[in-house]
Amino acid sequence: MNWGGFGTLDGWLAIAGLAIGTFAIRYSFIGLLAGRKLPPRFERALQLAVPAIFAALVVPLILLHAGEFNLQLRWPHIVAALITGIYAWWRGGMLIPLVIGMATLHGLLRLAA
Amino acid sequence: MSIGEIKANTAPSRSAFRAGVLECLALIPSYVPFGLVCGVASVQAGLGEWGAVALAAFAFAGSSQAVLTQFLSGGAPLMIAVLSGLVVNLRMAVYSAAISQRIAGASRMERVLWAAFLVDQTFISNEARRSRGEYEDHPLPFYLGCAFTLWPWWVLMNAIGAFAGAKLPTSWQLDFTIPLSFVAMVVPLLKSRGQILAASAGGVAGVMLYAMPLKTGLIVACVFGTCVGMLVDTMLTKRTVSPGAAR
Repeated sequence: MNWGGFGTLDGWLAIAGLAIGTFAIRYSFIGLLAGRKLPPRFERALQLAVPAIFAALVVPLILLHAGEFNLQLRWPHIVAALITGIYAWWRGGMLIPLVIGMATLHGLLRLAA
Repeated sequence: MSIGEIKANTAPSRSAFRAGVLECLALIPSYVPFGLVCGVASVQAGLGEWGAVALAAFAFAGSSQAVLTQFLSGGAPLMIAVLSGLVVNLRMAVYSAAISQRIAGASRMERVLWAAFLVDQTFISNEARRSRGEYEDHPLPFYLGCAFTLWPWWVLMNAIGAFAGAKLPTSWQLDFTIPLSFVAMVVPLLKSRGQILAASAGGVAGVMLYAMPLKTGLIVACVFGTCVGMLVDTMLTKRTVSPGAAR
């Protein structure tokens, strides 16, 4: 039975540092603005910033293999993501688009093999 | 206050909580591979099994946990490792700004709860709920339903990785459920032309800037996408509003 170890003091300082710092980032605007409304211009910018940052997060995860664009390896992922996106746009939901996307991916990967 | 009144008050918030749980249950598989990997990496970095659990519980931010443990394993100074992890989490400031505009009138305790569980998945689930116009009077219970599904599961996956050193076969491609789940949540949010352009520009910039260290490319891509969206928005409104339309 492995009862687990506690590591080093430095390790715990690192854990505390990341935890406290991350909370500070999360609380930053929530705490600073505390219910104050930003001017409409910023409100509009935020409405655009959300899709922009999620696209920047997601598109590389779909297209890139080991940091390089690789159509030969990634085309099944690209098709799977497109089908997931089309279904989600049409019907919404979470579980069904995910299942459809993963089924597509595995089907295409088997086809390609 | 009668029991009937209390029930009338808590029933909708309880159903909002339940809807949040249901919304995020589908995301559970996407946490498995990365959670296990983070747990394994934490032990390898010398945090110990319980350090791994504490890191997952208190940071609750996978990519930054991975960066922190990677730097510690490589023998980087403590400060550098922590700061690098924090830079990875800077995108959460954007989420914080967006949430701050949605929770007018929240008490300090409520604001702390909003902040504590702010990760990609809880944030975007809340945006999706808003765009569907559901539970407008009970956003926090919905959000907490989401958080109380994902947070314990994340800690558990890290613990299994740390204690059992378990990993999943990569051929399952289960990690691909992360981008797929974001696609499924973000696509229905794209309603205006500006948003579609912002997403397109952000996606292209995200790929071009992928090599920038510590995911800083994300922040640049976010600013770029937002500017493109705003520029096109203003141009379109000017064209439709200006000449003869100015009565």
